[in-house]
Amino acid sequence: MDILQYALRRLLAGLPLLLGVTLFSFTLMVYFGPDKTFELLGKNPTAQEIAEVRHQLGYDRPFVLRYGEYLRELATVDFGNSDSTGERVSSLLARTIPVSLALELPGFVLGNLLGIALALLAAYHRGRWPDKLIMGLSVIGMSISFLVVIFVFQIWFCTSHGLDLFPVRGWGTASLADYLRHVTVPTLAMVFVALGYNTRFYRAVIVEEMGRDHVRTARAFGAAPARLFWRDILKNCAIPVITRIVFTIPAIVIGGALLLETSFGIPGVGKAAYEAIISGDQPVLKAVVGLTTALFVIALLVADILYRAVDPRVSLE
Amino acid sequence: MNHPTPLLALRDLVVEFDTMAGRVRAVDGVSLDVFPEESLALVGESGCGKTVTALSILRLVPQPPGRIAGGSIRFDGRDLLALPESGMRAVRGRDIAMIFQEPMTALNPVFTVGAQLGDVIRRHQRLSRREARKASLALLEQVGIPEPGRRIDEYPHQLSGGQRQRVMIAMALSCGPRLLVADEPTTALDVTTQAQVLEEIRRLQAEYRMAMILVTHDLGIVAETCTRAVVMYCGQVVEAATTAALFSRPHHPYTVGLLDSIPRLRETRLAELPVIPGRVPDPLQLPAGCRFADRCPRVSAECRVVSPPLVATADGGLVACYHPHP
Repeated sequence: MDILQYALRRLLAGLPLLLGVTLFSFTLMVYFGPDKTFELLGKNPTAQEIAEVRHQLGYDRPFVLRYGEYLRELATVDFGNSDSTGERVSSLLARTIPVSLALELPGFVLGNLLGIALALLAAYHRGRWPDKLIMGLSVIGMSISFLVVIFVFQIWFCTSHGLDLFPVRGWGTASLADYLRHVTVPTLAMVFVALGYNTRFYRAVIVEEMGRDHVRTARAFGAAPARLFWRDILKNCAIPVITRIVFTIPAIVIGGALLLETSFGIPGVGKAAYEAIISGDQPVLKAVVGLTTALFVIALLVADILYRAVDPRVSLE
Repeated sequence: MNHPTPLLALRDLVVEFDTMAGRVRAVDGVSLDVFPEESLALVGESGCGKTVTALSILRLVPQPPGRIAGGSIRFDGRDLLALPESGMRAVRGRDIAMIFQEPMTALNPVFTVGAQLGDVIRRHQRLSRREARKASLALLEQVGIPEPGRRIDEYPHQLSGGQRQRVMIAMALSCGPRLLVADEPTTALDVTTQAQVLEEIRRLQAEYRMAMILVTHDLGIVAETCTRAVVMYCGQVVEAATTAALFSRPHHPYTVGLLDSIPRLRETRLAELPVIPGRVPDPLQLPAGCRFADRCPRVSAECRVVSPPLVATADGGLVACYHPHP
């Protein structure tokens, strides 16, 4: 009950954020974004044709009215039809979001789990060669551009110049084998890059915690290193870890992974959003921006509730 | 005095730290004995190496940057420095327990008092969770925590400073150690709590028949609590004596200076409280002879050449000085 009340309060408090972000992005979209009109018209349109299309698109209505309509669409989660294809926006999202999730979830989970595991290993051996090796590799992961990693992995794994085990492009989830065939290389690329950042971040968090007095107390009472790291240290590190993980979720669900999706030709939401930006497909853009913000507000709330679960000093006020 | 075999014997202990500026000897050739059931004070000002000495007994000196560079630590006939890490873990908390200065940070903030106590108990004794909880409750009761049944499920931040230190004491007692190392256990507490906690430690030390090393800079605490005292200066022992002898007839000029600088009630002009002139030498550039020479009123040329060795005094103590007070 407490948590429910708190959640409701926090969601209400998130409304101004939602209004602010949507107003700002909608203003940008309307006044500075690409105009769909001329894409829909042929060459040399007449002024009347232009006016007609603008009317169809709703561009001629007052800003306040259009923004109000946006809010109504957000509240009902119904964004109408795509200006480009005429497909319902909701069905477009329902089609692309699961693809992005299926694409990114393995890499996201592995990137974090392996990141924490390697960080623990590095922190445990801090200053000695395993630490230096892991930190060196993570700098490599951080330093190489994601795009380069993708290309190199594609050449290594997907072409006759390398192992030639996987398809370069495409997507399929007809069977588990089909899914694995398409998801493996993108996942490897994602893990390679994510590990660099994650390991460094988690190692810093763990090393800081290792220096705390309570860790010395635990050692003074005979705690073995395994228990010390898995229990005493890791639970104290949970807050920064949760923050990092929870706050990347909105970007993954709605943002997709544009580079992965375009490079591997995967029909995910990142690619759909990118195409909407290029072509000025306002209904899709409105949905992507609005839902990302809403998810972010929810992520804030989820993070706070999780903080409470791991740290008794945090109170839900 | 009849001297049984010491429970703990440090011999020529050297602890070094690598710092940005160079290698520092925080503890330089410290030897001391702790006999069963006695309470020994380790006295000195901040940075004199007393805490590092205490930490090295349990091999808890942070490493790197620190390391135990020489000497031996024998506990009950065993050389602790020769034990493998796993053997040392079995000693920590079971044979030798330690309590720390900062009760605010020394307990793990995300586990309940009961979980932390039970953890230590179950680590060293074969008890079920339920039995460990019962033992924890009894311990909390024993160290004077009100409503132990409620406190046991609370987190450290819900307790007062004094209560947290009592929890630390309960944890230290939980496996019936033979030696308790208390590093400034009351320094972070307010004055009334200090007295209560100290009284508790003294009572439990007698009850559990433990030996104790009390690390402190507070001579008042030494007088109240300890039977013997070792005075450290700059990483070395300068004087060792029974508390009674130390207070009535200090030999080392540094000890004399320490005792003189205690404010006394009824003294009319507090403004003239004597202080020891000068400063502790830079640990990176220690003088060749006696480290106290630059601040010493009794200094002679001899003092600056070779460090004075620890020699026995007439009243059974030890002093490292060429010109001790009679």
